[in-house]
Amino acid sequence: MTMLSRVAERLFWMARYLERAEDTARLIHAYTHMVMDIPKGSAPDWDILVRILDAEPLFEQNHRAYNEQNVLRFLIADLDNSCSIYHAIRAARENVRTTRDVLPEEVWEHVNELYLYAQEYAEKSVGRRNRHEFLETIIARCQMINGMIVSTLPRGHAYRFIKLGKLLERADMTTRVIDVGAAALLGDERHHSTVDPLIWASLLKSLSAMGAYRREIGPQVGAAPMVDFVLRESKLPRSVKFCLNGMRQELAPLKNNKDALELLDQARRKLSRFDPEIRTREELHAFIDQFQARLITLNGTIETTWFLTDQA
Amino acid sequence: MNKSWKNYDPGSFFDELITPNGKPRVAARPLVNLLQNLSHEELSNCRSAAELAIRDMGISFTIYSEGKNIDRAWPFDIIPRVIKAKEWDKVRLGLAQRSRALNCFIDDIYNKQTILADGIVPPEIVLNSSDYRPQCAGVSPRHGAWAHICGSDLVRDKNGKFYVLEDNLRVPSGVSYMLENREITKRVLPELFENYSILPLDDYPSRLHSTLASLSPQDQGRPCIVVLTPGIYNSAYFEHAFLAQSMGAELVEGNDLFVSDDDYVYMRTVDGPIRVDVVYRRIDDSFLDPEVFRKDSALGVPGIMRAWKAGNVAIANAPGSGVADDKVVYAYVPDMIRYYLKEEPKLASVKTYLCTNEKDRNYVLENLDKLVVKPANESGGYGLMVGPHASKATRAKFAKLIKENPRNYIAQPTLALSTAPTFVDHTVEPRHLDLRPFILHGKDTWVTPGGLTRVALTKGSLVVNSSQGGGSKDTWIVENNK
Repeated sequence: MTMLSRVAERLFWMARYLERAEDTARLIHAYTHMVMDIPKGSAPDWDILVRILDAEPLFEQNHRAYNEQNVLRFLIADLDNSCSIYHAIRAARENVRTTRDVLPEEVWEHVNELYLYAQEYAEKSVGRRNRHEFLETIIARCQMINGMIVSTLPRGHAYRFIKLGKLLERADMTTRVIDVGAAALLGDERHHSTVDPLIWASLLKSLSAMGAYRREIGPQVGAAPMVDFVLRESKLPRSVKFCLNGMRQELAPLKNNKDALELLDQARRKLSRFDPEIRTREELHAFIDQFQARLITLNGTIETTWFLTDQA
Repeated sequence: MNKSWKNYDPGSFFDELITPNGKPRVAARPLVNLLQNLSHEELSNCRSAAELAIRDMGISFTIYSEGKNIDRAWPFDIIPRVIKAKEWDKVRLGLAQRSRALNCFIDDIYNKQTILADGIVPPEIVLNSSDYRPQCAGVSPRHGAWAHICGSDLVRDKNGKFYVLEDNLRVPSGVSYMLENREITKRVLPELFENYSILPLDDYPSRLHSTLASLSPQDQGRPCIVVLTPGIYNSAYFEHAFLAQSMGAELVEGNDLFVSDDDYVYMRTVDGPIRVDVVYRRIDDSFLDPEVFRKDSALGVPGIMRAWKAGNVAIANAPGSGVADDKVVYAYVPDMIRYYLKEEPKLASVKTYLCTNEKDRNYVLENLDKLVVKPANESGGYGLMVGPHASKATRAKFAKLIKENPRNYIAQPTLALSTAPTFVDHTVEPRHLDLRPFILHGKDTWVTPGGLTRVALTKGSLVVNSSQGGGSKDTWIVENNK
């Protein structure tokens, strides 16, 4: 059974947006906790969250101050911001609305419910009081939808393009999580040896990777091992390496996959040559930036190869 | 007993569930007994559960108004309508007969036109219809079948007799709501299903699939069937997606398809172009092919008419089928049945006055306050006048319209539409309703057990269209109950 190019494209984006909603929720969740743990004065500013998503221009169109309220409204409830949770969920729903015929029926029902939930609660959950519950619900519901897809969707093109979208988005978001760490600790005046491990640990938690890290590496969280773990631990489902390997698996059986595979393998080689030990934080940030650019190019190649093909 | 049932009074109308002396009809007895024992609170809870199910299932229809698309939840009444299987059997046979005759008619009109030559139907009525498509002349689709999916609107008069009000042969919609209504009832009133043997509806998608498959130009292998939708902003998009999914067919938009130089239709896929055998199109003829019909159509597929005429693809319903959907042509259906099938009509039609005919026209103009006036080619309840409910000014407006363009109007007596108990606000009250069964016609003919019951939620109103504030009910065809 084949698949319409348009449908493949919408599934791919549905998966990207769902993953984006979940990952943004994870990031905000972890960041909020981290800020509460760190003594006033040493805590990093809220603008980091906007910066690592490369969303400053959009933010500054409507807001002057990078305070907690503004940043979180922007990331949770702002419909004009394609990084916001509410926007991502709405976009995911629009994509499912037009592809329900190839998905298990429950997927539509649950994405629709997720949307109705976000519609009702996003704005009310900007403040700290309700934020926690909102973010946890978003994460749990996204995971439930993912679980439904994994456990009921036949392994055909629908699954393939959903997985590609999900892993591409996840790889990108995982690099951004590392970028939070790099950015938070970038300035020397903020650098504080007691704060450092707290930040890296909370980032690990945002990836649900704290337990795995403890078992694999130990309870002490240092910058270099954490970065290495999150980038290159092939057994960790949210690591960049895991995402790239998973994408390779799905690209391999597709027709006309030469360009995409080549880009993917280049990215994998870059990743394996990366040495976390010798990097300064500026270099780490630069590496992440370049890596994100690679992922954008890969996305473009997937689009032109399978989505926008002119076959007439 | 819940007191709103005690006060329930359908007046002089035929009520689907309650007899004139206030007792439930035999087939409705277990249903009414159960409902009578529910308090208002329990009924309200059922309704809330139904609303929740509708919201969760995402059953919606879109209304286009004031430049905005509004996605509305599907208005549903929890009290089902019950019809005895024995009674339904006669209706079913009548509908199948009608569908066969209508298909013979369409095939005849685009080929030999014997019915016109024999003087049964006046040629100018057919050939001047805005739904007659000269571009379709000379085409002979498989099995002589043109109107593969037909939705006929039935009403009952004050004696409970069924009449066909109109046949929708272009792109009839509503079947998914019929199926979803049953799903909702199963969720909110599951106990009712213990006491009844209700004919199931859920094989509609597989019946539709076999009907469509029987049209495929290739007999080898599994045919490639697609549902062609105008897209997410169409009021029936939900249904298009629903049908595609339940048939396991591709839901396509115009730009997913293309016709290549070999006059075959292909769809664009991640594996490259794939040949399409059957297009179940849910867009109007006029938008189907910009090479042949409206040139500005971005919804259609350029060249698809070429492919269809070459016999390389089947289109359901076939282009041009709407010619038999015209309300003037409707008046001749009983004659068609006699002419093509040599049978007497098994299902009554409503007396129809044709404004082209001078005697009829004069009668219509003199009796506008008693009649329903309908435009010949509109659907969805637009542009129609219910005489007894219309103002003087509206009647004068319609008198003028009829005189200016008699071909475009017909009139029918105002029927005393049947009612059924409907849970509105906080009481159970009678509301008028109709019924749209669906008839599939390919290699074989098949009629849905029941159909979509549409109910006018406004007190006294006879307009049941969802675009005009109508709701719907689950419809049960029940075999002898204990």
